[in-house]
Parts: sequence; C-alpha cells; structure tokens
Amino acid sequence: MSSRRKTLAVLAVAGLALAGCSSSGGTSNSTSGSGSGGASGETITVGSIHPLTGALAGAGQLMQDATEMAAADINAAGGIKGLSGAQLKIASGDSQGKAETGQSEAQRLTQSGAVALVGTYQSDVTKNVASVAERSQVPLVIDVAVDDSILAQGYKYSFRIQPNATGMGTSGADDLAGIGEQGGSPIKTVSYIHIQGAFGDSVFTAFKKEAEAKGITIAKEVAYDSGSLNDAATQVAQAAAPKPDAIVVTGYYPDSLLIAKSIAALKPDVKAVYGIANGGFDDDSFPGAAGAAGNGLLSANYHYDATSARVKDIRTRFEAKYGKPMETAAMLSYQAVEVVAAGLDKSGSKDPKKLRDAISALELSDPLLAFDGPIKFDETGQNTNATVIVMQIQGGKVEQVYPQKFKTVDLKFPAKPGAS
Amino acid sequence: MTVDQSARRTTVTTTGGTGSQRQYLVLGVVVLLLALLPLVLPEERQGVAVRTLIFAILAVSWNVMSGYGGMFSFGHAAFFGIGAYVDAYLLVDHGISPWVAMVVGAAAAALFGVATAYASLRYKLAGAYFALATFAFAQMLLLLVSNLSSLRGTEGYNVPILSESSWSKIQFPQGDSRYYWIPLGLLAIAVAVKIALVNSRAGQFVVAARDDATAAEALGIPVMRYRLLAVAISSAIAAVAGVYYVQYYLFVGPDNAFGGSVSIEAIVPAVIGGVGTIWGPLVGAAIVGPLSELTSTLLRNPPAALAFLEGKAGLDVITYAVLLIAIVIFLPRGVYGSLKARFGR
Repeated sequence: MSSRRKTLAVLAVAGLALAGCSSSGGTSNSTSGSGSGGASGETITVGSIHPLTGALAGAGQLMQDATEMAAADINAAGGIKGLSGAQLKIASGDSQGKAETGQSEAQRLTQSGAVALVGTYQSDVTKNVASVAERSQVPLVIDVAVDDSILAQGYKYSFRIQPNATGMGTSGADDLAGIGEQGGSPIKTVSYIHIQGAFGDSVFTAFKKEAEAKGITIAKEVAYDSGSLNDAATQVAQAAAPKPDAIVVTGYYPDSLLIAKSIAALKPDVKAVYGIANGGFDDDSFPGAAGAAGNGLLSANYHYDATSARVKDIRTRFEAKYGKPMETAAMLSYQAVEVVAAGLDKSGSKDPKKLRDAISALELSDPLLAFDGPIKFDETGQNTNATVIVMQIQGGKVEQVYPQKFKTVDLKFPAKPGAS
Repeated sequence: MTVDQSARRTTVTTTGGTGSQRQYLVLGVVVLLLALLPLVLPEERQGVAVRTLIFAILAVSWNVMSGYGGMFSFGHAAFFGIGAYVDAYLLVDHGISPWVAMVVGAAAAALFGVATAYASLRYKLAGAYFALATFAFAQMLLLLVSNLSSLRGTEGYNVPILSESSWSKIQFPQGDSRYYWIPLGLLAIAVAVKIALVNSRAGQFVVAARDDATAAEALGIPVMRYRLLAVAISSAIAAVAGVYYVQYYLFVGPDNAFGGSVSIEAIVPAVIGGVGTIWGPLVGAAIVGPLSELTSTLLRNPPAALAFLEGKAGLDVITYAVLLIAIVIFLPRGVYGSLKARFGR
C-alpha cells in the first residue's frame, strides 16, 4: 500500500467515524408483534418514526418503546372498539436523526399500509415527514417537535400535541409573572440567555412580547452558539451585569448544565433562574448531573402530569419493562398513539382520510401531560390546550410547583441559585 | 494529491476514440436497463433508489475532481449545498423553476469551486492540507447559512406542495416514476460529461497534472488552468445533485446541505467502487446506497440464525467500515477498479 493510498484510507475511515458520530447508520427497529392475533383478527398498522440510531438514539428508543407499550395497552383493553376490537400494530422506522432518512422511512411506512404516523422528536425531520404525510394523505401525530413553522405550511394532515415554540415562550412569561406575584416579590426585569437558531430565537421573541405586556422589561439578551459553548461564564456574567430580578435560560441539555454551573459559581443576585422550553432543567437526570448548582432552578416546560394516577401507573410499568424512567418525550409518544387510537375508534374506519377528519374533531380528556384542558386541535393542527407548567429542582428531584392544580410540592421563591 | 498509480494506468488505456465510443455505448445500455427498474421495484423502495442515484451523481462529481484531478476534496458538501440553496431560494422565494436553478446553481458552485481551489492551490496546499481546506470551506458555508436570516437561518426551506403534477417545478405524486427517471437522466449526463472530459485533450492534461505536476509544467501544460477546469466541472455536477435533492425531499436546511455527512456520501461510493475510473462511482453507489436499507431490513426481521441482531444499532456503519477497510487492503483499486485490472486487458 502506497503512502498516498494510506492517506486516502485514513481520511475515508476518519470521515466515516465523523459520519457515525453525527448521524450513525443502521437500524435497530423491530416491528412489534404485540398487536398480532387480535380478537377480531384485524390488525391496523401505525408507523412510528424516531431516531433509533445516532446521537439521539437514547431518547428515540424510549419513544419507540412507548409507542409499543401504548399499542399493547390498547390491545389488552380490547383493541379499537369502533372497529370491532381491531388490534394495533406498530411498524417502526428509524430516521437516524436525518431528514432524508426520516422521509424515506415515512414513505416506506405509508406505502406499506400504515394508516397513521407518529414521530419524530426533531423539527427538521418532522418537517420532511409532515410533507410525506400531506402528500400521501395519511395523518401524522407529532409527539415531539417544537418549531412553529412545521404547522405553518397549511398542512391538513399534521397534528401536534405539545405546545409550539411561541406557545412556550408566551406561557413561560405568564407563569413567571404569576410566580412573582404569588411569592409577593414581583419580577420587574429579566436577562435572557438563549441558544441561537430557530428554537431559541422563536421562544425568546414570544417571551419578550408577552413579558413586556405584563410589565417585565428585558434587561439583556444573550444569544450563544451551542457549538462553541465550552464555558458559560461569559454569557452568565453578561446576563448578570444589569442586575436583573431573574435570569431566563432556553437551550439544550449540555448548554443548560454549563449555564447552571456558571451561575452557581458566579452567584448573581437574582430571585430566580428560570428555564423556558429548557432541555435540561426538568430532565430527571439533571439534578444529579448539576449537583448543588441545580438546587432551586425553575423550569417552565410541557411535562407529564405527575399528579395523575394514570400517568403514575404507565410510568411504573414502563420502568419495570424497559428499565429506564419514562421521560416526557416518551409520554408524548404514548399519548400520540392514544390520539390515533381515539381517532380510529371515532371514525370507525381504517381510511386515513376519515381518520384525519376524526382526529381533527377529537376532544380527548384526561391527557397524560399537564395541560390546561383536553387535547383538541385547531385548524392548523395545533393542540389548543397545550400549555406549560413550572417545575423546580428541590432536594435533588424535579418537582411540579406551579400552577396550583399540578403541584407536587410547594414552590420555593425567591430561589437563590445554588443555595440548598 | 495524486490519487493512485493504478488509476493512472487505467485512464491511459481507456483513452482514445474507439474507447470513448464503447464507453458511451455501455452507458446507454446501463441507463436503459436502470430505467426499467421502477417497473419491478416495489413503490416503497423508491426512496432508496432515488437516494442512491443522487449520491451516485455526487460520487461521479467527486471522482472528476479527486480521482482524475488528484485534488482530494473533503468538502463536496459545499458545492452540493450551493446547488440546494440556490434552488430553494429561487423556487420558494421567487417561484423560479428548478431547471433554471440547475444552471444557476451549477454556475455558482463552479465559481465558488474555482475561487476556493485557486486560493488553495496558489498557496501550494496539497494532499491532506488541500483536503482540510475544502472541508473548512464547506464548514464556513454551513456556519454562514445557519446565521443568515435572509436564507432562513437554521429553519431552512420547505418547498410548497403543489396540488397537481408539474414538470416545470419537478413535482409529481408521491411514488411517481418520474422522480426516479429524472435523476437517472442527470446521472447519465454527468457520466457522459466525464467520458467526454477523460477522452479529450483537456482531460489528458488534467491527468498529466495529477500524475506529475512538475513534469506537466515543464512540457508547457498550464497546470493550474486544467486543474481549475476539473474543479469547475466537478462542482457544477455536485450542484445539480443538490438541486434535485431539494426537489425530491422538499426541504433543505444547513445540515443536510452543507453538513459533513454529505461530503462523506460523495467520497465513500467512489472509494469503494474505484477512484479515478469511469464506472467505479456507479458500482460503489450501487453497493453503498442500498446497504443501510438492507441491513435495516435484516435487523427488522432477522432470520432465526441471526435473531441476536434484532434491536442492535449501527450495523450498517460497521458494515461500511469493514467494507472500506477490506477494500483498501484487498481491492486497493476499489471493486470495479480491481476487477478491471484483473480481467481487463
């Protein structure tokens, strides 16, 4: 082997390693056998698309497991009653975290007979899958994907259970104002640290609008690029400089962890550190990872309803079966299958078009997430009652604290960052 | 970087008038046979076939610059992405047909390719340094596009879905065979351009510059000019692949246009098939394209003997890596290149 040939080989293999890191290939999906052999003999296939390999495989696999569990639960309870007990079967697709793979998986699933799709966890993959759903006229129930623009295309076949970015920013501002008043120490000024890009920008814009209407001023906006954030001290110092009443943070898990640690180190004099649509603060593993830096952090986000007995039962069984706690993302996947099942039950038909109409007219009470009301979609496909609740890390655990009806423990406010 | 010794021999032997006629003939037959594929392929496999064709075009493009031109590109995503973004911008924001975008995108990518390659070659970047420079240019575009709100930043573009078929907007009902035939036609044109280049005088100069730039220079060949020619042709072809990508997937964002994995998808089929050969990239794409689909089908419903594989992730990346290493060791000229050396003249 000549040295040039070696260079080529090394570059190519290095490249593959890179590709493996960023997206990874392969597919670990398996079609569930849980639905086969139902009482009525009829089986209805629902396609589930999640990142089962690649950087997001951990969350994706849990979401996939949740869809299987939802189908198994529905089947065990007698299947789809409106279709004389037909059984549900999940056919899984692996997006590999890549938009084009998600799309070809969606095509494969719809063309091989899935009556509906659920997925996909990432906004760009969801956009592609939504376009497939629209073109093949098969309903897509989005479990997780926050970007406003997915439903801004005027698609008729896409539905989203969780709040969108704008909704989260708006409710986040409302709740922050509410917490300040409830605690007798109103929030007047905030500094906002957020990730750059569609997600962070849109949440911030919506927050700003609502906050200003409530008399809260934005003292400082600090946007950071997640790729270059190795240490958040600069961002935190910038945010703390105007001495705001609260620091608001929107970003993914690793960034939020860095920011929390920097805040604990710099000890700015604020009443609260408050995450909105924050990927870290209310994750069950966050208190452990952050240690003392996590104490007292507040987080406004959509969340499974920890006060609901049904949710407790599902989470207990999930953890027993799969050995991992069922995070909110997986709960949304479970819920998405329930939405499809309710639609099938109501329409009494396997025809995807009729199913679509049924879902759009659905009103599903007892949602698994802490929402303002039943799951109900507006004409764009957005769940109108999707709202956020506020959580707080107390005693090393993520607890629900606001509003009153969802609280698991009392809110601690003001909550000095890092104090126990 | 001079790519390999064997490729030099292969190109020289395939040169000449009758050689090119035979190559066109082979191309015609291959394309005709491939055109029949949608008639037998189950509709839900179309996505895989189209993806394979798109990356075959990209591999052909890579091979012109890196296989024949000897300039190892690790950043072909730059050209692909330029094509994709030109298309998205013209179509979504201005309603201009993708066919126009193919021309504009190809020109823009060629311009960008020539400018960056000139800058790199001017300062005598070669081998791994040249490769890293191309990678850096692609990364630069990725960051630029992510931060430009006029190009919709990280949001990317959604191509609006039309209610009826349109040739001018390249939009058909899902699963329509035209979605397959169009990239097949584009691939045929790309290969034809490559055949024409390789058999032309200019192509001979490109190869001469690759094999020994100093000697070529001494013979009076304007090495820089012919290297830039190869870069221009290569970038233009890559841009066309990018345009079609957007038309088929109806969405483009910074990562799927300029991301590192796009550059890899350009390199891998060419290396597996055979660097510096006409047919290598096609053979490579035919192997690599369906690979992840095959492994995922295998994992989805494994036969009893392989039941332990069920639910295991990443098998196709492992297969990729093993295949690459095996080929580099046992078939150093790639699958096609080695077969040709063995059974060819």
